[in-house]
Amino acid sequence: FGVVTGIDVDIIERLPTPYGLVRYGVAPDHPEVKNVENDFAALFENQNDASSVSYYGNVSVGKDISLSKLQSLYDVVILAYGCQAACKRLGIPGEDSLEGVLRAREFVAWYNGHPEYGHIGSIVQKCLWNTSGDDERELDSSAISPARVVVIGQGNVALDCARILAKGKPGLIDTDTPSQVLDILKGGVSHVSVVGRRGHIQGAFTIKELRELTKLKDEGNNATFIVRREELERGMTDSSKEELKGAAGRPKTRIDKLLQDSSKLYHSSDEDSKKQVELRFLMSPVSLVPKDSNSDRVGNVICERTKLEGEAFNQKAVGTGETESFPADLVLVSIGYKGMPLEGMEESQMFDQSKGVVVNEHGKVFGADNLFVTGWIKRGPTGIIGTNIMDSKDTANSIMSFLDLKNNNAQPQSSSSEDESESLFGRNGLEEFLKSNNVEFVNWEQYLRIESSEKEPSRLRSGDHPREKFLSVEDMLIAAKG
Amino acid sequence: MTSLLRRPASLAASIAMRPLHQAKSSKIKVSARPSMVFKRPELGNLGLRSFSSKETVTITYIDASGDEHPVQAEVGKHLLDVAHDNNIELEGACGGELACSTCHLVFDQDVFDTLPTKSDEEEDMLDLAFELTETSRLGCQIRVTKEFDGIKIRIPDDGY
Repeated sequence: FGVVTGIDVDIIERLPTPYGLVRYGVAPDHPEVKNVENDFAALFENQNDASSVSYYGNVSVGKDISLSKLQSLYDVVILAYGCQAACKRLGIPGEDSLEGVLRAREFVAWYNGHPEYGHIGSIVQKCLWNTSGDDERELDSSAISPARVVVIGQGNVALDCARILAKGKPGLIDTDTPSQVLDILKGGVSHVSVVGRRGHIQGAFTIKELRELTKLKDEGNNATFIVRREELERGMTDSSKEELKGAAGRPKTRIDKLLQDSSKLYHSSDEDSKKQVELRFLMSPVSLVPKDSNSDRVGNVICERTKLEGEAFNQKAVGTGETESFPADLVLVSIGYKGMPLEGMEESQMFDQSKGVVVNEHGKVFGADNLFVTGWIKRGPTGIIGTNIMDSKDTANSIMSFLDLKNNNAQPQSSSSEDESESLFGRNGLEEFLKSNNVEFVNWEQYLRIESSEKEPSRLRSGDHPREKFLSVEDMLIAAKG
Repeated sequence: MTSLLRRPASLAASIAMRPLHQAKSSKIKVSARPSMVFKRPELGNLGLRSFSSKETVTITYIDASGDEHPVQAEVGKHLLDVAHDNNIELEGACGGELACSTCHLVFDQDVFDTLPTKSDEEEDMLDLAFELTETSRLGCQIRVTKEFDGIKIRIPDDGY
């Protein structure tokens, strides 16, 4: 039969909606970061004769269709499912047993309206409002919670959490934060402490997110940003100074300067701010202890003061024995995501349990014929959206080499393989399989219906409100099929 | 209480392909995306961004492989948009809103010195650029001027 040029790509996603962390990870007050959606949407809109891209939402690989079935239907299967399911652990007392301790990942998914994290809302509500002494229903939407929140970790996710808690409904009203979330956050929380065990030079956050915290007050959020000069000085070891040198040290040098300038700005007039966000450095959490009044709930985070020891780029935070107790009504643990194997992959050599990644070389998975991997599940949960551009080029290159080889080695089809023409391959095979197994997949057009329903004026808070997300898969499917 | 252990999201991209007769084993080239500016009505300052006189000057983009691409650039347009208009491979992942560093461009010193000062926000994004130089800027922030006639601008490697 005829040789057709071009590549057809099918994208399979567990939720009805695509985009992953762009929809459920990127903070709602960072809409410009979500602009990449337009490039992704263009893949589906701008098709040409040589190749095509199709979308299959609401299909769970491992449950609705096995990975091995996919591998048999397609020339190449690429895993790009990220690190959604698990997190690194602190390994300290109280981490698992106390109420009011959440993974930052869950908190983020909740404030972004992820359909599987709605239950986080009642936990946050209890932490923020049950100890206020006021009947919560009486409080208006700008009431500030007296709760004290401790965020453990200092990556961009930790800073996002702090900023969202500080802004509350007034600061987020024109974003796509779900209304149910804003009703729980109300006017924000009065105290957020973001603690990191190493110094400010070693923090994983980038300057953009830090700068936003320094601007909270000027932008009308009634929240002061605090860093302690003393902690900046403690963190400026000789090794840290080494880390600032040269062109590679430029980003950290600018972060240091911004923090130094911020530490000078705090003065008594800031006492008028109703809210406070502080970054605390060289503080390592050693245990979570319950409230005196209720032994099921977290009450304090005990931290040990650390000092940095070691060579540049390899400094370790060593305990000094000095401790400080942080009162906490809500604790968000933000120390990193972790990858998980797909169903069926657990026992194989394909998955590196300690790193939480699929074992691969330039994206080609070891021990599997036509399996490739890209993104966080390939290299671990680090980097920004743009990092994936290089990563995907690397994997795409491996795929093209693989296809070249396959092409060159292809045997001519013999006429006796008639049963192969009976079973469908690729997209047709996938659809036939899904339909015969009653899997209700969502195609691109149907996703667009979800999108336009979310933007329906009757759902929106105001003319500036970009969309009111559906908070359940059921509601998404109704909109998709309607 | 619902179990918090979730199954991983299975976003699996699958490729179905008939044999390619032109599969290349060399580095793949990602084709330039057409300018997305006009497809984003939500960009509040759309009018401002696309304003330009009809006057053009000649500027040359040097791509990561060293190949030169002279183009006619409309005065007043941002260098990112000019690249897209002329099918030059220059990523602009965030659409020109200072939320990424993918439109990173490197200028000659004498041209760089004439450019308007960087904002903190542009500097913050440049911090993340691969192989940042002393004369680096983001293409979405620099508008073409008449004085750009004849200049060459380098598109640096993106790390791949």
